[in-house]
Amino acid sequence: MFDFIRDPSLYNLVRGPLVWIAFFVFIGGSIFKIRAMYIMARNEKAVLPFINGKAALRSLLHWVIPFASRNWRLRWPITTLTFVFHIGLVFLPLFLLSHNILIHESWGITWWTVSEGFADAVTLLVIFSCVAFFLRRVFASEVKFVSSSSDFLILAISFFPFLTGFLAFHELLLPYKWMVILHMIFGEIMLMAIPFTRLGHMFYFFMTRTWMGSQFALWNSKDW
Amino acid sequence: MAVKEKIVSRDFKEYVREVNPDVGLDESIKGLTPEKIEKTIKAVLGARTARIRAVLETCIHCGLCSKACQWYLSNDGDPSYAPVAKMRMTIWEMLKRDGKVDAEFIKQCARIVFTECNICHRCSMYCPYGLDVTFIIGLVRRVCFVLGVVPQRQMDQDHAHATTLNQVWLGQNDWLDTMQWQEEEVGAEYKDLRIPIDKEGAEVMWLPLGAEPKTGIYHIERTAKIMHAAGIDWTVPGKDVWDSSNMPMFLRDFATMQRIVRGLFDNAIRLRIKKMVLTE
Repeated sequence: MFDFIRDPSLYNLVRGPLVWIAFFVFIGGSIFKIRAMYIMARNEKAVLPFINGKAALRSLLHWVIPFASRNWRLRWPITTLTFVFHIGLVFLPLFLLSHNILIHESWGITWWTVSEGFADAVTLLVIFSCVAFFLRRVFASEVKFVSSSSDFLILAISFFPFLTGFLAFHELLLPYKWMVILHMIFGEIMLMAIPFTRLGHMFYFFMTRTWMGSQFALWNSKDW
Repeated sequence: MAVKEKIVSRDFKEYVREVNPDVGLDESIKGLTPEKIEKTIKAVLGARTARIRAVLETCIHCGLCSKACQWYLSNDGDPSYAPVAKMRMTIWEMLKRDGKVDAEFIKQCARIVFTECNICHRCSMYCPYGLDVTFIIGLVRRVCFVLGVVPQRQMDQDHAHATTLNQVWLGQNDWLDTMQWQEEEVGAEYKDLRIPIDKEGAEVMWLPLGAEPKTGIYHIERTAKIMHAAGIDWTVPGKDVWDSSNMPMFLRDFATMQRIVRGLFDNAIRLRIKKMVLTE
């Protein structure tokens, strides 16, 4: 943050103030969105009285565990891709060595990291999944029919941070410094986009599953 | 076999269907005006409640719901039968155009939501987020119902419920007469077999479907035998509502739907029964 005031370069901008803004928008926006949805659900009197915690938890567990639900088993290639993609997308940035170094430089704290070779492999898998999702959108008839520009946009939003991160690590295409700046910008765009696009399924997932799990428990049926 | 005439939708070129004339759709759209349609859509979808928003803002358009749908499966994977496609062709388009759609579009919506979806909730069992697609389809049905654009057969059932509180236009005297007639019929086979009408404090109140006293009369006789053999203390209501089928629910005709449910529970309270047993 203060580096930017001393030396207002583009690197210090994306490394300092923009990170703060991105995290503020991401966390604040998410809390706002979750709160707004909760208040709406409370006002719609038919929702909250029917929430069944135990059923919701069972439903959630069956859908966050690979191949635990019928649809995950029916479509094993997509299931594999989905889980690899989402686990990579959420956990790799948290346990990446270079991210930890940045946090250490700023605040002097670190936590576990994964090896660079492993991180590289996961990055490639995420990039590969993105390409596969893109091809599925273009060629699979049932997905193609419902795809619009916003679908490709949110796919791109999650694709570019990983692509630029990979290119920066291997110093390909652009000088390292420029690629890292691009990588940070794309990462910040992704964080800020989460609450305000359909990437919000990151937190809505838990709410919608809670609702449907409770509904199916009411009908003495399973929703997995 | 004669080749049936096909039509291609004006809005979605993938939506190709056989021509299927229906008075309820073809004639009723003639009275619609753009203002009326816009007003109705805004009245039904205007207050974007939690359940609507949750679906619209979460659906990632992945198409994983498609294999849940019997329409999609039995039409060789035609993408326009997938649950998410039905949302795309109806509610997404209505909201995108801010309710400014024409009568032809409403007719197409009615065809999709009434004749190509059974509102069975299977898509919610296959959706990774458990999104309530059926609820959304129900809202579109509500829009179509309020505009009066409903397939004739379904609208007729709704009218029957609204008028007689059963789906077969059976008057209360016919209902009572049928019960007594059936009691006489079985009386020849079983000693002391009764079909108790309006018996207060009975254990069980049996509520048939409308078609049973009308066309499936043997069901009543058999139910009576079963109750008799099992030694159950049972009764049937002598007053409306006795038909437990709730067709207005499928049209999202909330007023009639509530009258039926309330009528059933009123009977249960009046007769102080402990259990309701419904056919089906």
